[in-house]
Amino acid sequence: LADFVQLLIIGLLAGGIYAAVGVGFSLVWGVLNIVNLAHGALVIVGGYLTWQIFTAWGLDPFLTLPIDALLLFGIGYAVQRGVINRIIRAPLLFTFLLTFGLNLIAVNLLLLIFKSDYRSVTTAYSGSGLELGSIVIPYVRLAALGVALLMAAALALMLNRTRVGLAIQAVGADRDAAQLVGIDLRHAYAVTYGLGAACAGVAGGLIAMIQAITPTAGEPYTLQAFVVVILGGLGRVSATVVGGLAFGLVEAFGQSIPGSGSVFANAIAFGVMVLVLVTRPQGLMGRLR
Amino acid sequence: MMRTSRSRRWNRVLTGLALAVLAYAVLAPLTSLDSAQALGLPLLADKLWFRLATITAMFVVMATAWNIIGGLTGYAAFGNVAFFGIGAYTTGMLIAKGKWPFLLALPLSPFAAAAFAALIGLPLLRLRGHYFAVASLGVGVAVGELVQNLDFRGEPIFGGASGLFLPIFAVPDRDLLFFYLMLAAAATSVAATWAVLRSRFGYGLIAIRENEEAAAVIGVNTTAYKVAAFALAAALTGLAGGIFAQWNVFIDQENSFPIAYNIEMILMALLGGAGTLFGPAAGAVVLQLLIQFLSGSLPVTLNLPFVPEDAMPVVAQVVLGVLLAVVVIFAPRGVIDFFGGRSRFSLANLRQSLRETSI
Repeated sequence: LADFVQLLIIGLLAGGIYAAVGVGFSLVWGVLNIVNLAHGALVIVGGYLTWQIFTAWGLDPFLTLPIDALLLFGIGYAVQRGVINRIIRAPLLFTFLLTFGLNLIAVNLLLLIFKSDYRSVTTAYSGSGLELGSIVIPYVRLAALGVALLMAAALALMLNRTRVGLAIQAVGADRDAAQLVGIDLRHAYAVTYGLGAACAGVAGGLIAMIQAITPTAGEPYTLQAFVVVILGGLGRVSATVVGGLAFGLVEAFGQSIPGSGSVFANAIAFGVMVLVLVTRPQGLMGRLR
Repeated sequence: MMRTSRSRRWNRVLTGLALAVLAYAVLAPLTSLDSAQALGLPLLADKLWFRLATITAMFVVMATAWNIIGGLTGYAAFGNVAFFGIGAYTTGMLIAKGKWPFLLALPLSPFAAAAFAALIGLPLLRLRGHYFAVASLGVGVAVGELVQNLDFRGEPIFGGASGLFLPIFAVPDRDLLFFYLMLAAAATSVAATWAVLRSRFGYGLIAIRENEEAAAVIGVNTTAYKVAAFALAAALTGLAGGIFAQWNVFIDQENSFPIAYNIEMILMALLGGAGTLFGPAAGAVVLQLLIQFLSGSLPVTLNLPFVPEDAMPVVAQVVLGVLLAVVVIFAPRGVIDFFGGRSRFSLANLRQSLRETSI
């Protein structure tokens, strides 16, 4: 049973990170109808920001998260307004390739600036954790789960309670009707992508505290974000959080099967995804649209 | 009137140019034969030339094959590198573990790749749009991972992380043979596309691309057509993989399942013009030469100020990313389209294409 509880906890903690990575991806996909292949790159940009601020000024990594969010929002807004908006009505292959190109640019610029060395954020409290019998839960991971859930809640509140949030939802539901009632589409799209990037930045900050990062470490997160959104169902923040936690659990238990292991991480992720797509295309929590 | 005669002239000049380049590429290697050297002909093709030309032909195969599923059928396949890898490992395993001769093993590569494509195509091709794109990308990643890590009683089945070594194919003028083999594969791909474009099958695929429901209504068996197109693309890609395995002598996950190939073959097809006959091949030649130039593998290299030489491959990737963005934004119908195609290269045209897709 101790093993089971341990796997459950590992899965939920990892799931928190997946949820954090997933919410921004889900927002951009749901509203802009773009599968943002640059999402993982944005995550890692957030990670490097946290690392840079922490090493240069010694600021507590959790306090860097708002800075990540703000800066990434700015980058995301500019990228959508300046580049992606120009082909937003093109067939999906084009937005797909464009975001892949942006990913290529971002990752390789990071490689030029930071080289491919592993970087990690190690604080005084990094090693310590909460002891429950034989199980140790690192404080950092616990806090990361908390931050992820907080961020998701804040995003959900914003989407449902503020004017900007409602405008974003309106644009996602019907672009032309939204324009008719006076919503500035270009601005609304850019804000949406900016919010997605900000979420990615926070997720990246959390990831930098938990594992060592390299410029190429973001790519798996793009794929995992996709699986998370499929699992939960597209359209609502809460569904993505459920998808993230579920994916964390699937991964934790999947890797504990004898003969399996972390080398099959992608194979497990995509096995799960194809299974869900074929049997329950609307996701665990989703409604058919 | 002006415009047609002008584009027709362009067309003629470009066709002539392309034929001349092709003739040179096909004939130049012959000067490396001993008999040609004995006759005192100048050596037009050395080791570097063969390497470059063979790789370029390989990408012509991949881009042209992708065009069948991506360009004609309109299904954005992002995992075609899986077929390349399966082709490479089929030939590789048969030769290295089964001790088969190369020429007997190679024909099985396209069959293995096509069988795999049919198998995964049945569930995957039910998905549309983004779902198909990412699911196929996932297959591309997962197959490479499985090939590297699958064990049987503690022994890696496919050579594991250390890869597979093949015995060298011992014939004289090996470079020449592999170049012509790859060239034949490229010609086969273009010929297959030509045959498809002229057939009922091809019209069915284009109908699926334009409107799948309508295609089904007029009696196209969409599932069978899609799976067949996917399998045909896989067979051609697998053939290139099989030739690559014996040519390169060593295969592993990194050189047989590189994710970058997925994107490069699509970019090549788009650059040249997806859905056209020669577009993907032309795009492959241009882009492959550009990639080789940027990464410094050509005799002519680029020396940028402030950029150390070892950073050039990374800079090349940045340039590739920018190119991807520029092509997608400004020339969604492909660059070839500007030469003798429907549209002329002009500011008005670029603006028009932007207006169609932006908000």
